[in-house]
Amino acid sequence: MKHFLDWLKQIFSPPLQTDPLLPPLIRSLADTKERELTCDEVHALLDQFAEAVRRGEDAARLMPLIQAHLDMCPDCREEYETLLHMMSVPD
Amino acid sequence: MIPKRDNAHWLNDLQSPGEARESALSDLMSLLQRALPAGLSHWLSPDNPLFEDLIADVIQETLMRVINNLHTFEGRSQFTTWAYKIAVRVALNELRHRRWKNVSMDGLEGGDENETSLFEFPSTEVSPEAAVERGDMLAILQRILAEELTEKQRAAMNALMLQGAPLEEVAQRMGTNRNALYKLMHDARLRLKKRLAREGLSIEELLDMFSNK
Ligand SMILES: [Zn+2]
Repeated sequence: MKHFLDWLKQIFSPPLQTDPLLPPLIRSLADTKERELTCDEVHALLDQFAEAVRRGEDAARLMPLIQAHLDMCPDCREEYETLLHMMSVPD
Repeated sequence: MIPKRDNAHWLNDLQSPGEARESALSDLMSLLQRALPAGLSHWLSPDNPLFEDLIADVIQETLMRVINNLHTFEGRSQFTTWAYKIAVRVALNELRHRRWKNVSMDGLEGGDENETSLFEFPSTEVSPEAAVERGDMLAILQRILAEELTEKQRAAMNALMLQGAPLEEVAQRMGTNRNALYKLMHDARLRLKKRLAREGLSIEELLDMFSNK
């Protein structure tokens, strides 16, 4: 009986569905590097990075590991953007 | 008018007892009071009745952290930029928590991590080569995920990549911290990337496959 049910299940099992995680995951794998900075390492350098950007320097090229983390990590990216907004207020 | 101080002055004033310290703290408070709305208005409308309270709370917590962490300031940026960075962390963590605290995320809480991953998506028993011949790339990918990711890693990825939850909030629910969660996710991504390479699967081709859908 159990075998019969399994057999029925097999016959009527729905077509394979795409795991919804796959598209965003594969996209993130494209940008995955052997060495990546962690959030703490980025936080430690974020003020320097933001000041370099505001001076008009090519910070992404000078500090590529930070840029790569900001591209990968939404929390750090939000903090970076908020910091820039705060820095744009004149003293 | 807030007097201009260079880094040495900020440090000196904040470390000296009495009036110098009081006025440095009050100046830093004024600077934060002025700059925070510019950053936080992207998160919460300044018309929101909670806005002023939030700013006041963030300033209190920031001043405390600044004082407690003065010894870690290395002078590689302006002192105020460093203090703003601390304020941003305080403010956004509070806002993230408010925004996400009532959103459920499956499979993050609860202790014992099961190393074998139970997988709800059907996977096939065929060898990679045979499946490729059948064009059944999805089945292979899903099997690879099932084999390479633990349940906790999988649950965290769902929350982060599908729900768009912040690392900070996901980490808290997992009983860990954001830095450790980032490392966990980095390890998982690297592991998957290496496995795909071993299986001869090109990420570029996979990307094409998903962008055509
Ligand atoms: Zn981060």
